[in-house]
Amino acid sequence: MLRLEGIHAGYGPTTILHDVSLEVKRGEVVTIVGANGAGKTTTLRTIAGLIQPTEGRIFFEDRDITSMPAHEVVDLGITLIPEGRQLFADMTVEENLLMGAYRREARSRQAETLEHVLSLFPRVRERLSQSAGSLSGGEQQMVAIARGMMARPSILMFDEPSLGLAPIIVQQVFEVIEAITSTGTTVLIVEQNVFNTLKASDRGYVLENGEIVLSDTSESLLTNDHVRQAYLGI
Amino acid sequence: MRKTVTDSTLDTAMTQARPNTLPWKRIGLFTAGMLALLIIPILIGDQFVSHIFVTIFIFAGLSTAWNIVGGYAGQLSLGHAIFYGIGAYAGIILMNLGISPWLGMFVGAAVSMVVAVAISYPCFRLRGPFFSLATIAFLEVFRVLALHFRELTGGATGLMIPLKFGWEWMVFRDRTPGLLIAFGMLMVALGVAWWIRSHRLGFYLVATRERESAAQAAGVSTVRVRLIAVAASAALTAMIGTFHAMYLTFIDPSSVFSLTTSIQIAMFALIGGIGTIFGPLVGALFLVPLSELARGWLGAQALGLHGFVYGVVLVLVVLFMPNGIVGLTGRFFNGKNDEKKAQAAPIAAAARASRPPIGNDILVVDHLDKHFGGLHVTRDVSLTLKEGEILGLIGPNGAGKTTVFNMISGFLKPSSGTVKVRSEDGSMMMPVTPGDFAAIGVGRTFQIVQPFAAMTVEENIMVGAFHRHSDVREAREVARETAHRMGLGHYLDAEARGLTIGGLKRLEVARVMAMKPRILLLDEVMAGINQTDVRRAIDLMLSIRDTGVSIIAIEHVMQAVMSLSDRVIVLSSGQIIAEGKPQDVVRDKQVIEAYLGKDFVHAEA
Amino acid sequence: METFLQVLVSGLMLGALFAIVSVGLTLIFGIVKVVNFAHGEFLMLGMYLVYLFTTKLGIHPLLTSVIVAPLLFVAGVVTQRFIIQPLMSARDDHIQIFATVGLSTALINLALLLFGADIANTPSSGLRTPITFGPVRVLLGQLVILAVSIMLVIGLQAFLKRTQTGRAIRAVAQNRAAAQLMGINVNRIYMLTFGIGAACVGLAASMVAPLYPTSPNIGTYFVLTAFVVVVLGGLGSLTGAFAGAMIIGLIDSFAGFYIGSDVREVVVFGVFLLILILKPSGLFSNRLSLSHVSP
Repeated sequence: MLRLEGIHAGYGPTTILHDVSLEVKRGEVVTIVGANGAGKTTTLRTIAGLIQPTEGRIFFEDRDITSMPAHEVVDLGITLIPEGRQLFADMTVEENLLMGAYRREARSRQAETLEHVLSLFPRVRERLSQSAGSLSGGEQQMVAIARGMMARPSILMFDEPSLGLAPIIVQQVFEVIEAITSTGTTVLIVEQNVFNTLKASDRGYVLENGEIVLSDTSESLLTNDHVRQAYLGI
Repeated sequence: MRKTVTDSTLDTAMTQARPNTLPWKRIGLFTAGMLALLIIPILIGDQFVSHIFVTIFIFAGLSTAWNIVGGYAGQLSLGHAIFYGIGAYAGIILMNLGISPWLGMFVGAAVSMVVAVAISYPCFRLRGPFFSLATIAFLEVFRVLALHFRELTGGATGLMIPLKFGWEWMVFRDRTPGLLIAFGMLMVALGVAWWIRSHRLGFYLVATRERESAAQAAGVSTVRVRLIAVAASAALTAMIGTFHAMYLTFIDPSSVFSLTTSIQIAMFALIGGIGTIFGPLVGALFLVPLSELARGWLGAQALGLHGFVYGVVLVLVVLFMPNGIVGLTGRFFNGKNDEKKAQAAPIAAAARASRPPIGNDILVVDHLDKHFGGLHVTRDVSLTLKEGEILGLIGPNGAGKTTVFNMISGFLKPSSGTVKVRSEDGSMMMPVTPGDFAAIGVGRTFQIVQPFAAMTVEENIMVGAFHRHSDVREAREVARETAHRMGLGHYLDAEARGLTIGGLKRLEVARVMAMKPRILLLDEVMAGINQTDVRRAIDLMLSIRDTGVSIIAIEHVMQAVMSLSDRVIVLSSGQIIAEGKPQDVVRDKQVIEAYLGKDFVHAEA
Repeated sequence: METFLQVLVSGLMLGALFAIVSVGLTLIFGIVKVVNFAHGEFLMLGMYLVYLFTTKLGIHPLLTSVIVAPLLFVAGVVTQRFIIQPLMSARDDHIQIFATVGLSTALINLALLLFGADIANTPSSGLRTPITFGPVRVLLGQLVILAVSIMLVIGLQAFLKRTQTGRAIRAVAQNRAAAQLMGINVNRIYMLTFGIGAACVGLAASMVAPLYPTSPNIGTYFVLTAFVVVVLGGLGSLTGAFAGAMIIGLIDSFAGFYIGSDVREVVVFGVFLLILILKPSGLFSNRLSLSHVSP
């Protein structure tokens, strides 16, 4: 469904990704594992069209989307839930969710989707008229996920959904992610919480210094020494 | 396109040969060019041509003076006509009292300096367009005040100079003396601009412009250097203003305190090449004749034509050659710099001296709390660093490690708690500002690298070296030595913006090492460098420690943490959850949980 | 007392005038994050257009807004597309500042070339008719400006809150990257916003021209005050700009009467500098503000 071939990308003259190739099949849940600064976020931002790769190709359903601007990528059904939530802080929760459905295909079924999403997030429903900036970190993360789902994406990408959240909230976030993946939505996820994420996914890639050094099923990665070393050095 | 030089002996030979000889060829070229500018109008002897050249010299001088603030310091003043006007009024008012403008010039300069400092000090808090807007507002205030105080300024009717001729009064029937004075003033402005740019002050100004926080970390008093620049610029502007008033023989508030003049002064610098020594001169050379010829030949029909051309040229220059005319030629001649993609050479593995024993407490942090509104970033963080020790600070993303660094280097004020540092004479001090911390010997790097992008690698490191060496030559020596030690020796002349992320990380360390700090705070300097270099970086850090420097390192590369640290502190959700020897800490259940999630611990069991 | 009332009302009328000129400026600033130094020249351009349409074609000045506002919309879109957009990613602010300063210089001098330095008087067409309320006297045109400026603020506010496009505009202002991730074409939103901002000033031109003589420098005169208003009201806040305009109108009016008409600008700019330095986020931290931007 989504395929990266030999991607080189970075910011300005600084190259962060070197020859990254990976693939996500329809219905799969795929994790990218790696230390800080390994290039995980850059990978997702490159797919989303926020960064243009300097080399390599990106295909979505066999269509070349390498140099497509971000808003057109969204229109194809690729949605990124960015690191640090990135809500529209001065807008209400409801307005945030409606912005999620800005994509042409989602706009016509806005009301229906909203109902469905809110049924998954009862807490968000209670907060609809509050401004997004006034919510707690955990609630904001829920809104960010709900906003991503409002686009009715064919593939949903998560960037560090548990970053900076209290452990209890992290558990809740993972419950939500599991609920989403159980409905068959294709997911690509980047997380520092390796264990929970790998447990919830089918396959994983290990990224180090901008290069893919390992790729395997989640079960084998969970017992892989290299993965543990990348995170703890033990 | 030149192949990157890899032969290190050749490279060092070249870099050593370069600085000791003055660039005679360039000096010769410059002298010839300047003399030509002076001689051409004298030889032609035409009134109108002389007038054009005087105007060129005056505006080039004004623009060169503006460039010290607008270019080097990056503070885009659109109120420079204030100083021009003060100079003009001071000259004429004093002349009416029988005082020569040669004296009045200095009175105007003195008043301008005071005004400039008073205006700029509060305005430096404003960034970009807001600074410009504030300067425009001040200019308007001056114009209105000049209109209001009629007894002094003559109000809207303006002031005429009394008819006194001769060198003493700076007023001449003949054009040549005016030409000479204007030329002299331009040379003075260029001289001051050159001096500033090639001394510590200039380095500090550009560093402040590029990255204010990194400059502060390098011990630059960013407000002070900017005020000095503003004062120098205002004084030069006022002196040229005095002469211009004598030349024009008549001034009124709307023509001297004019936004149009302010904009023109800045415009010449931008079109010629902002921040370069000769850019303003080139800009004026290019544009002044255009406008004067339009005015001279087309007269009243072409009212507005030259202004229209100015505006259009400015927009086009901004869009298509933002580095100005000088930038265009500069790129042509120095293209090789941009081509050098610095994949930094291996870090020189230094021979290690024996390790000095761990000494007394050198940095003591007590109960640091920081919250932004209701959000607690750190809670009750206490730690102690001993002399000659390496302390590892680890923890998951968002744990508050960088916040702790910001508080122990003066960049963030703790909500409560104290930071004490032992000074060189042994007493415990409580530094507050980044400048205090730098002065007492605390050096830091930034997690998100903060290079002075427009400066070369050598200049970047020199900014650090200036902390202990005010002389350019000495600072350059120290910078070179540090660069070689950090494996950046081949890239001294490369612009920092062209380095890879690994190169930039090294540049951060090199800049702070050039400050010769006693306490070193390293924020993830190993992220993004490859395995072999991690090994070398570890050796380098150990050798730094062995020279007696105490280090706190935030690091994610566990291999480095394990082999470097004497002690490790683990931070999670803003609190210290573990402290001890590295081997013990990584086996701590809480630590594993914080990193990998709760279930991992169970899976282990 | 009667004088006091007259000064008060004159201040409010002046405030309405500042408001109608400032609305577009604050909109462009709040969303595109560009301080448009050429905003005043858009007004000047609009006023010359009104002058031409009224004198050459005999159209009533208020009716010219139907043509002038759309023309300025186009001017705004073109400015954004060809001058601002290529510079959006520029490393330094100075590039954008100089671009709009250059545009401003070019437009002023273009007007000078085309129309000369002389004043162009748009026919007042009844808008200078005085209306008296007891001791207080105002011009009909001033009341029109007050009414239109209030409607403009309310209308724009509703547009930004209630329509999908309006929400998209606010989204872009608050978080550009996130807006892109929603599928919003940010460049198009910027063009639209710049166009609307310029159209607002076109509308203002139709109201202002019958009351004030048009000259190439008229824009500079208004825009400096508009900047004061925008900073005072909090950058990007429409209601803040309106309130700020009223305050500046009153300060201007009272300072002019009680201190001296030649130094009222000093008072106004003094207030501006104090706000800029002491409370750069503006006097009103309004819930409806468009963005968090502070200098």
